[in-house]
Amino acid sequence: MTEFRIGRGHDGPARIGEYIMGTEVYTTPILTGPIFTENPIIPYGTIGRVTSNSLKPCFLAYPFELQIDESEKEGIRETDSILLPSLPSFSALGDGAGALMLKHQMDALDELQTTIEPTRMVIRIPDEIDQEALTSSLTDFHSKGVRAAAFVFDGLLGDQDLNSIVQRKHLPMSWLALALGRITPGTIPLLYYVGFDIIDIGHACEAAAKHQRLWHNGTESIQSGQQYRYCPCASCQTLQDIDSSQLVDALLNHNVNIYVSILSESQNAMASGRLRWLVESTTHNSPAHASALRRIDRNAYSFIEEFTPSTGASNLPLIGPESYNAPAVRRFREYIASRYKPPTYKKIALLLPCSARKPYSDSKSHRRFLETIETSFSSATSQIAQIILTSPLGLVPRELERMFPAASYDIPVTGEWDREETNLAADALITHLNKFASDVVIIAHVSGGYLDIVRTAESRISQSIIYTSVDASPTSWESREALQETLIDLKDILSIKPSRPQELEEIIRSTADFQFGPGAGEVLVPENARLTGKSYRQILCRVDREQICSFVADTGLLSLTLDGARLLAPLNRYWVRLDAPSVKGGSIFAVGVREADVAIRPGDEVIILNDQGEVTAAGRSEMSGREMCELDRGRAVSVRHKLEGD
Amino acid sequence: MDLIYGQIRDAVRHASVRARGESIERRRSKSPTKPSAAWTAPCRIGSSQGTALSIVLSSIGCTHARSEEGGCTMCSYLLDGASRNPTAEEFFLQFQTAMRKLEKVGAPLSIKIYTSGSFLDPDEIPVDSRYQILKTISEDDRIKEVVLESRPEFVTEAVITEVRELLGNRSVELGIGLESSSDFVRSICINKNFNLDSFRESVVVGKRHDIGTRAYVLLKPPFMTERSALLDAQKTVTDAISLGTTTISLNPVNVQRNTLVESLWEKGKYRPPWLWSVVEVLRHAYSVSGGAVNIVCDPVAAGKNRGTHNCGNCDSSIVDSIRTFSLNQDVSVFDDLNCECRELWNHVLEHEDVSLQIHT
Repeated sequence: MTEFRIGRGHDGPARIGEYIMGTEVYTTPILTGPIFTENPIIPYGTIGRVTSNSLKPCFLAYPFELQIDESEKEGIRETDSILLPSLPSFSALGDGAGALMLKHQMDALDELQTTIEPTRMVIRIPDEIDQEALTSSLTDFHSKGVRAAAFVFDGLLGDQDLNSIVQRKHLPMSWLALALGRITPGTIPLLYYVGFDIIDIGHACEAAAKHQRLWHNGTESIQSGQQYRYCPCASCQTLQDIDSSQLVDALLNHNVNIYVSILSESQNAMASGRLRWLVESTTHNSPAHASALRRIDRNAYSFIEEFTPSTGASNLPLIGPESYNAPAVRRFREYIASRYKPPTYKKIALLLPCSARKPYSDSKSHRRFLETIETSFSSATSQIAQIILTSPLGLVPRELERMFPAASYDIPVTGEWDREETNLAADALITHLNKFASDVVIIAHVSGGYLDIVRTAESRISQSIIYTSVDASPTSWESREALQETLIDLKDILSIKPSRPQELEEIIRSTADFQFGPGAGEVLVPENARLTGKSYRQILCRVDREQICSFVADTGLLSLTLDGARLLAPLNRYWVRLDAPSVKGGSIFAVGVREADVAIRPGDEVIILNDQGEVTAAGRSEMSGREMCELDRGRAVSVRHKLEGD
Repeated sequence: MDLIYGQIRDAVRHASVRARGESIERRRSKSPTKPSAAWTAPCRIGSSQGTALSIVLSSIGCTHARSEEGGCTMCSYLLDGASRNPTAEEFFLQFQTAMRKLEKVGAPLSIKIYTSGSFLDPDEIPVDSRYQILKTISEDDRIKEVVLESRPEFVTEAVITEVRELLGNRSVELGIGLESSSDFVRSICINKNFNLDSFRESVVVGKRHDIGTRAYVLLKPPFMTERSALLDAQKTVTDAISLGTTTISLNPVNVQRNTLVESLWEKGKYRPPWLWSVVEVLRHAYSVSGGAVNIVCDPVAAGKNRGTHNCGNCDSSIVDSIRTFSLNQDVSVFDDLNCECRELWNHVLEHEDVSLQIHT
């Protein structure tokens, strides 16, 4: 039996799983190569040419020229997987040549399947193939039972490699994805991130043959008599006095160790929600790495975003431009733009700088700002909208400061902004302020780079803007004094009346809109809702004594009760529809999901509907909506509340 | 399966036509009375050392290369030819021009007539010119050996009878570009447009008239991994020898202008064969033939990017060994060859098969 099982967890399309070949269970992600070591590596070879001495199941390439007759198949064991025959470079002819290679593989499959189960076959995706031909033949292969595909990399991270990465997104969710070709160790985090489960380390041999040691960010030539880098690995301990006949073997061992260690680092990063950060750190390996990630963010954004969890690491470093369009960052900006709706009673919009400490209100500077607001605007503070400007998130409304990643991102603070981040923030600010009434007064209590953002946006902002911190730092005594005077004056000029605090409502409503889309806040917090708790710990929302939802400050998210789920259900978002009348147990598995909202991301709060379309549970998603529909196994939802009884 | 093979062949044919492009029209006009090339070189004739004159007649070029079939994927010899076909007189003048190189050379001589096409194709070389040329050869007693080149479809009983009658008891060999004994490789990777039976037939016709066959064996057409190419060339050598060819001429592909191979090479999707692969095929050929068949290899552009090459350090010594072997058939010249890049070549053999990534 050969099967690929996807396990629990995501960071981008990266996932963990098991590739089961007979009795051998390989845990993915895993490396593959011509090397047989103690390391967890799936060996590969070629039928009739290099056959493996390994007892372990392996990948076997089927040469194009090989006649499909019985005698040749003798070298193939029941547990081996077969790479279907294709011609190298053929797809470069264009004109549908790539599609022909897929058709040829389909023919080969038809002939081979009498003795080789299609679940053991791996399709080779041609270097050049148009999307329509690819998706239609993938559907055909899927219906025949194939569940794996291999893509080619030349290691240059140019068009061919980018193409392979972009094509990978067309694979059905349940398929195993192999990356074959020349793959340097430094590319492993990226390939894992974009969803490759098995990665070829043949380049370890190539480099060793060229007397090169591979490192995470480059290569080193080993020449006798020269000083070389210190390496703690066992095979490098004797490098100094090794004779040339053993040199290649020693280098090979080292190179394999590097691959193994980088894959392990990637797995670890994925488990802690920091794989994207690891990938971003590889952009300094070479300009090619940097441009590759930028192009992927541009050309495959929706694919990567779809599998990026809505929650993440408690500390998320966003170091440079490579972070500006990271899915968690870009999604935050887009949700603020498309889902946030300011309360109508705001009279003033106060722009503030961000702080290094998160959430902002825990920082010294923000505590001072809040004090100033409190003293000058007491009993009417709810009429001030607080908007924190920041990079690369653009802006964060005070109510959403505990939302991921606003509560956990960490940026190098120098006070200098580049043009791209200034523009990102200015665009966000324009969109945001346009949602406020035109008579709302804007106070820009910012200086330096933050001030540049406001200046950049100024001409496209309809409201009047008062600057209170032009000449000194916003935290300085003069600036706070200026802010205080401005607020006191405005209170008078705008004839501000006292109003009750609205902090809790605003947090729950804006969080609901952010999580479930526009309108959700009003549904979950109707006029007669009763809110209790603290913004920095937990807020409970009750209607007629029944709990509707709760806000957990640690995650910045709402969790729904069944009643809350029932209230939200008519919005027709974030629903998972089951095949069954009710939920049994604490988990819902993908196999039991009939349909799901494709907007669902891993980590989202979701509403579970039964086969009749009635709300039967609420929980947290473990995968994206499309995966729930397509996968036949794996945990789709962890149930929080469910209808008891039947 | 056959349907797809047909479509694959069509794709190759179209790509060959595309790669040839306007190149035929852009051929420079040449003097119709001078051969494209002519040179002399020492060679083995029977068991003694002699001199070979190679003549490349300037003709309108290979019928197959000119046709809608687009020609072979690696060949642009067509471009050496003339833009209009010379007359019978002009062809003869070309031949006479070349023969002057032999004026002061003593016996034994070998004459090799190439045309960038088929010497026996009456549309390419007029029957009268063919007759005049062969007749002139027959009148020169120094000439002990003649090699003619042709595609197999022009090797007919009638023509071969004529050749044998004119050349008397001289040793005659027909050079035929078999390239690969696999119909699949020959048609899909090379776009050669004849099948193995046609070649087999030509060998039989030749034998009937005591005319030997020199099989050109191609090493590494496009769309093959290094190992596939190596194995295919070895198998082709074995097959050609068992069919009764008298000489094996191994031709590692070089990247010629306006060919499909060149268009792939420019995109980094093709690499000419390693010299190590050439040596492997020659060794294999020697062991299969047991010395009974002449094995030669004169690699074009060897050591250069466009030709068969290794790492750059060992290329010239290996090319020297290949040339020495072609002259003396002493396979031991390969024994002491070594270089660090052999390890890399081993990796390429193994890794290209699995990854299908061309290691340029």
